Amino acid sequence: MVRHIQLSPLSLLGVSIAALLTFPLAYVAFSAVTGDLSQTGNLWNTRLPELLTNTISLAVGVSIATLILGVSTAWIITRYQFWGRAFWDWGFILPLAIPSFVLAYVYTYVLDRGGPVEQAWQGLTGSDAHIPSPYSFTGALVVMSLNTFPYVYLLARAAFQNFNLSFEEAAQATGATRWETFYRVYLPLIRPALVASMFLVVLYVVSDFGAVSLLRFQTFTYAIYQQITGRFDYQSAALLSLLLVSFALVFLFAERWFRKQSRFYQTSGQVRTATPKPCSLARGLAINLFFFVIFAAAFGVPVVLLIQWTLTAWAEGEVGTSFGTYIGNSVFLSATAATVALALGTPLAYLASRFPSKLHIACLQGAYIGYVLPGPVAALALLMLFTDMIPLLYGTVFVLIVAYLIHYLPAGLQAMESALQQVNPNLEEAARNLGAKGIRTFRQITFPLVRKGFSAAWLLMFLLCMKELPATLLLRPVGFDTLAVRIWLEASEELYQLAAPPALLIVILSIPAVFLLSKKNWQAEPQ
Amino acid sequence: MTPILESQRMNSVPLPPDTSSGPPMLELRNITCGYEPNTPTVRDLSLRLQPGNVLCLLGPSGCGKTTTLRAIAGFEQLSAGDIRLQGEVLASASVHLPPEQRRIGMVFQEYALFPHMNVKDNVAFGLYHWQAADRQARVQVMLDLVGLQGLELRFPHELSGGQQQRVAIARALAPKPLMLLLDEPFSNLDPDMTIKMRKELSRVLRQTQTTAILVTHDHEEAFAMADQVAVMHDGVLVQCDTPETIYQQPSSSFVAEFIGQANTIPGIIQNEHVETEIGPITNQSDFESGSRVLVMIRPDDIQFTPSETGPGRIESRQFQGSQTLYAIRLQSGQLIHCCMKPIPVYNIETPVMVHITTSHIILFPQPALS
Repeated sequence: MVRHIQLSPLSLLGVSIAALLTFPLAYVAFSAVTGDLSQTGNLWNTRLPELLTNTISLAVGVSIATLILGVSTAWIITRYQFWGRAFWDWGFILPLAIPSFVLAYVYTYVLDRGGPVEQAWQGLTGSDAHIPSPYSFTGALVVMSLNTFPYVYLLARAAFQNFNLSFEEAAQATGATRWETFYRVYLPLIRPALVASMFLVVLYVVSDFGAVSLLRFQTFTYAIYQQITGRFDYQSAALLSLLLVSFALVFLFAERWFRKQSRFYQTSGQVRTATPKPCSLARGLAINLFFFVIFAAAFGVPVVLLIQWTLTAWAEGEVGTSFGTYIGNSVFLSATAATVALALGTPLAYLASRFPSKLHIACLQGAYIGYVLPGPVAALALLMLFTDMIPLLYGTVFVLIVAYLIHYLPAGLQAMESALQQVNPNLEEAARNLGAKGIRTFRQITFPLVRKGFSAAWLLMFLLCMKELPATLLLRPVGFDTLAVRIWLEASEELYQLAAPPALLIVILSIPAVFLLSKKNWQAEPQ
Repeated sequence: MTPILESQRMNSVPLPPDTSSGPPMLELRNITCGYEPNTPTVRDLSLRLQPGNVLCLLGPSGCGKTTTLRAIAGFEQLSAGDIRLQGEVLASASVHLPPEQRRIGMVFQEYALFPHMNVKDNVAFGLYHWQAADRQARVQVMLDLVGLQGLELRFPHELSGGQQQRVAIARALAPKPLMLLLDEPFSNLDPDMTIKMRKELSRVLRQTQTTAILVTHDHEEAFAMADQVAVMHDGVLVQCDTPETIYQQPSSSFVAEFIGQANTIPGIIQNEHVETEIGPITNQSDFESGSRVLVMIRPDDIQFTPSETGPGRIESRQFQGSQTLYAIRLQSGQLIHCCMKPIPVYNIETPVMVHITTSHIILFPQPALS
């Protein structure tokens, strides 16, 4: 049989976009292994053991902490009816609106020697013992756990809400005790959701730069940044990057594999789900207290402090015209990047969902590379690429926008893909059948139907770009500061009041994105 | 009626009868297509369709009937053969006219009405290049034709299933296509509505003298709608004939069983007779004496009488209103279905004698024992 291999113009466009998006990473990998390796010998002996221990122990620690926080809150909310439940139900998503570096900078104040927590502790106990410094493993663990537990909460909540109660009842009808039911029926069925959330958390922790850099905790991302800025040692930075990306890739494939393995089909037909049980006043109070502590630590206290500092800064006249410039810079960069990303993502998502050939799927997967590319690595890739090949463009806004594209297109692409998948291809075929050409079909049929999903994708990418820190720090033109960069610079100097206004603004702007995220289907089902 | 000579049937490609001498509206010549994963493959399929005729592509799911339809519409590419409309090549291994240039209308299985457009805009979609006044007039004509006056401004989700289908038909016919394709048009309707819409569709097709191909897996639907029925199996066309011929002279035991209930009883040719478990049957075929065959008989052509010495026992009884379907188990274990008048009622386990009430039987060669 003759197989037609046709490369339509659209197909060609998709291939070029994917190639452009993956090229920088390939370049970094290439230079990492082909360069002069003699200089990097020390790296392996001195830095690597520490980096590995720190990164892995932080990932494990945060996993355990978020599992406890996320699962307990999700379980209580799906199983019990108490006063305040509706508030907590979405309240636990709010911490996602605080960028990790903002939370870290608030905690450098809160946990500092002589800070409010230490004072309270010493006042209560009468001792003059110190609490652990924020610039430590403990500090990083607390900040990262509070920052990421909502992911576990969202996935666990979806799993609990969709759990078919008939399984539980069937187990009890065979005489299983409550513990046996939990252990032998419940746990295996929600395990995919828990594992998926663990993967998410670990990927987040190993690629975070903002929090670990402010807490001066040596992980891979922070070390890469230091190699670039402190020692101008791109070779070592590239090697570390390659190592980090390889970990992330292995991790990603492990996740895919696991998802395929745990393909449980929970139900056919009607699902009976648990209805929340009313609980006693005392228990309700205990739950509220528990939730209040978590919420205050992850969202309430930081936001109150930010508001307080902002008001003080405002009163002291520290919010000047330069603040407007930073906002302008951030908005300009983010809006441009989100718009270009939408334009580039459309052909990729369209090809993969309408003509899912191996080539088109590969293009889409290529565009998703940004997922496993922590900010400093993406920055390094572009740094090396542009200084070697197009030095003229180095240090311009253009490079920064390319970095944002690579980094955040995956998030938008996911939203665009699901919007396109919801449009029945029959509708497009019907339009073609009625004499409409491809362009008219897209303009009159496909686009109106995906507009909402695409708007959400744009907004998501815009807000992610607003929060971007490491690539902006490394690639921005001289004197071109964004809100995120200002927060980080002021916070590094412990100028809490100066960092507060941009931080508060970013938190407020992020809230819509967080709700977009919470509407996503969080079930850990294979796609 | 002469029984079909099976040996001849098996070797000849079942070409549709050339009822009219004029040039065909649509002609498929030995087409092969469907190499995408998840689409059934169609192999070496040939069809001719005269203007104004309705042809039903009939077969079980996965037989390639929808792939064939989509190839005609231009949504699948051919790897061999060609498709001609009024003699002009639409598609071949090297030619692929895009769907929008084919002038072939299509009604999709789930109608594919544009959810963001009202009825009027849906119907007008294919009239993009028409003058505004002509377009408006044409939309009105189409809505009158399918009986949707007054619903112009409704959106698809505000319509019932039957109304949605009317919109889909009006939309497909509005740009005056040369022919119409319908993919399982009744599969989304409840049974009462299906019967009503069958009549409606027949009226519309007759009134507009539209040449049409309709895909279905329901033989009753095919018989009710079609001038010609093309039965497909595993990507191959197995028979293409008038509904009557398909029913009475199926070309294979697959067709026989797919088109309504059929009994197949093993037998051996003994000169003028076929020896079977229910007695000898007149043999009018030219199978050689001694060949093993399968005898195909419809349940309507078998009757029984209670008899203590009879070779069968009634195993089950299913009252169907105007008749009753009995299942009779013979001594060898062979099961035979026959239709009787509803009265008298015979009890289960009654021993019976079976008679064949027709000379019209079909013989198929018995497949070699494996």
